[in-house]
Amino acid sequence: MTATNPAVSTTTPAIKPTTAPAGRPRNPLKRFWPQYVSVAPFYILFLVFGLFPLVFSIYLSFTNWDGMGKRTFVGLAQYRYLITDARFWNAVGNTFIIWFMSTIPMLFFALIIAFLLHQNIRFKGFYRVAYFIPNVTSMVAMAIVFGSVFSNSFGLINSALQAIGAAQIPWLSSPWGIKFTIAMMVIWRWTGYNAILYLAGLQAIPTELYESARVDGAGTWSIFGRITVPMLRPVILFTVITSTIGGLSLFTEPQVLLGNSGGPGEAGMTIVLYQYNQAFTQFDFGYGSAIAWALFIIAAIFAIINWRLVSERDTDGNTKRRIRRRREVAR
Amino acid sequence: MAGFSRRSLLAGAAGLGALATAGALSGCGSTTSISSDPKELVLWYWDRSADPKLLAIAAKEIPGTNGMRLRADLVGGTFDTKLRTSLAGNAYIPDLTYINSNVSLYFPNESMFLDLNDLGAQQYKDLYFDWKWQLGVTPTNRFCFFPLDTGPTGFYYRKDVFDKAQIESDPDAVSEQIKTWDGYIELGQKLKKNVGSFMDINAGVIFGQFINASPERYFNKAGKLLYMEPNSAIKQAWDTAVKAIKAGVTGNQQNSTDQNAAWTSGKTAGHIEAVWWAQILTDTAPDTKGKWRLASQPVRPGNSGGSFVCLPHTCKDPEAAFKLITWMNNPQNQAQSYNNMQLFPSALDSFKGDLMKGNNSFFAGQDTQTFFLKSAESVPTAFISTFETQAQYFGTEIINVESAGKNPDQAWEDAVNQTNKTLRKRGIDV
Repeated sequence: MTATNPAVSTTTPAIKPTTAPAGRPRNPLKRFWPQYVSVAPFYILFLVFGLFPLVFSIYLSFTNWDGMGKRTFVGLAQYRYLITDARFWNAVGNTFIIWFMSTIPMLFFALIIAFLLHQNIRFKGFYRVAYFIPNVTSMVAMAIVFGSVFSNSFGLINSALQAIGAAQIPWLSSPWGIKFTIAMMVIWRWTGYNAILYLAGLQAIPTELYESARVDGAGTWSIFGRITVPMLRPVILFTVITSTIGGLSLFTEPQVLLGNSGGPGEAGMTIVLYQYNQAFTQFDFGYGSAIAWALFIIAAIFAIINWRLVSERDTDGNTKRRIRRRREVAR
Repeated sequence: MAGFSRRSLLAGAAGLGALATAGALSGCGSTTSISSDPKELVLWYWDRSADPKLLAIAAKEIPGTNGMRLRADLVGGTFDTKLRTSLAGNAYIPDLTYINSNVSLYFPNESMFLDLNDLGAQQYKDLYFDWKWQLGVTPTNRFCFFPLDTGPTGFYYRKDVFDKAQIESDPDAVSEQIKTWDGYIELGQKLKKNVGSFMDINAGVIFGQFINASPERYFNKAGKLLYMEPNSAIKQAWDTAVKAIKAGVTGNQQNSTDQNAAWTSGKTAGHIEAVWWAQILTDTAPDTKGKWRLASQPVRPGNSGGSFVCLPHTCKDPEAAFKLITWMNNPQNQAQSYNNMQLFPSALDSFKGDLMKGNNSFFAGQDTQTFFLKSAESVPTAFISTFETQAQYFGTEIINVESAGKNPDQAWEDAVNQTNKTLRKRGIDV
């Protein structure tokens, strides 16, 4: 720096072109550094809190570690154990059953609610907010309410069943009762959220379609089945994908309702709850990491299936064209 | 853009670099303690585990030290995870930390904690219940975990429900009738037949409290597996719980909503639990005030819960920290902690004179302090192994027997096999 001629350095900025001189392309890093600096915080945080734990958990899954002592390398032993671990497969089964029991009715209800909200009704804004409230309610409060509603001998539902002379159902101690209760919590929490997504999708459908259908004499339900649902296909796919991710990583609902053990018979033990149980109550971080990567593989398989579903739509034409075709056929 | 010249950029980068270097140096080079103030010791504890009045005194000056002060950090939630994280990272480690009754989890990493015998702990040994002291001794005979409160157990029961069932309901009479587990189950059958109430919420409690009152548990100090031996304490606890299930004296109430409702309504008229449960009962079932009494549980009382305090190896002034421990846990201060926080003392002399002032109105004036003192005096000395967390399947399987009607022999076999499998995975020869 000391060797630089001061006269040159003071004059150069005045004549410096804003773009790089021809023949010597400037390093983009030098040219766009303010932009790089402004996006850097995200990448730094991602490196520290995203990528590092990700890579570290791969490494951990090949070790035995109790969280504070020595880490011993065990190769694929954790994965070998995983494959023969009946408790892990029970958790996989539970996760899929609860996912099925919750996602299908949830998306169905959400669609109906969105369709009704889209009609010309009074207090629309109120209903839209009301349907969103379950999603922002504290999970712990929810678990207490659901615990009271479904508890075996003193729950509201069983009291009602008793009042009408029906047999009581052991909601929180039988395998299907537990899964049903968790599914109900998921449905309660996420139906409104998905309904709002559907509502946004509905508002994007051109009103002329509805008007012409009305003119053609279509009723509410045939409009719903023949226009609304097909036009909403991309949004439906989106909600299916997000519900799949949510369903596979189901944790809070069973944890707050049943504790870290997953309830009697581990009937409410989901994959993520099992991972948490192994890593943070048994302090077996190696095995916990192996479970996490097994879940990653399962989720990846579903991502591929979803992707195939989406790309199928692109190859056989967009939805609008399909509707036109369908209407022609109907004519 | 115009404000930035190459020179200012270089200066800025140099500044950032210097900052990062300084940060890195302070991270690895100097102290691993969470506080760099040489006069300040940091203690990690959780809510309701320490008396705030004592902490406030030590915050000004730890008695007997040369101007050392205490900073007590209330650590909430997953305490063990947070402590293990700082120990694993060798950074931000507190100078002293409380550890709950799961202290044996730390035995494999005992080198991370100081042996308090090196600081003269032996001379305090006789002040505390021996069984509690022994729980803080590691398998290699290092004394790392100093006694805080204890959890002697007893049989809580609803006198009004027993009266209705025409059972002699005086505490002495109840203790006499349930001297053995057979007596307990017999009384339970009478209770069930006469008023339809249960002796306890579920069979898991009987299984667990039987073990808590046993000198022998899952493993011995040498690491030998005991549960598979014929007539082991675990098998006896299992058989007793199964017998109680078959006799129908437990309520199969597996979730807390049902349990609390059952105690309030009298559907379940009893519970075997430690001294600290009285506070929970007072909070969750205030309407039952005056209806509860305490009787001795079958065979002998046990210990359930109770915490410890220890010094991580990075403690900046072990002598001052040990002074704090012995001061906070002297008999007078433990008695005061009982009066303020219901922390039941581990120091024998806390019970002398009238240091302890309990409010026994919830138990219609029954002297619960004396009851639990007697109970604490009879708790057997036992060894809790690190690997007991791997033996949780026994508890899981007893629930399956009670709530799903699983065959008890099959359930026992499954519990043994699953425990063995998990232990082998952890590198234990089974």
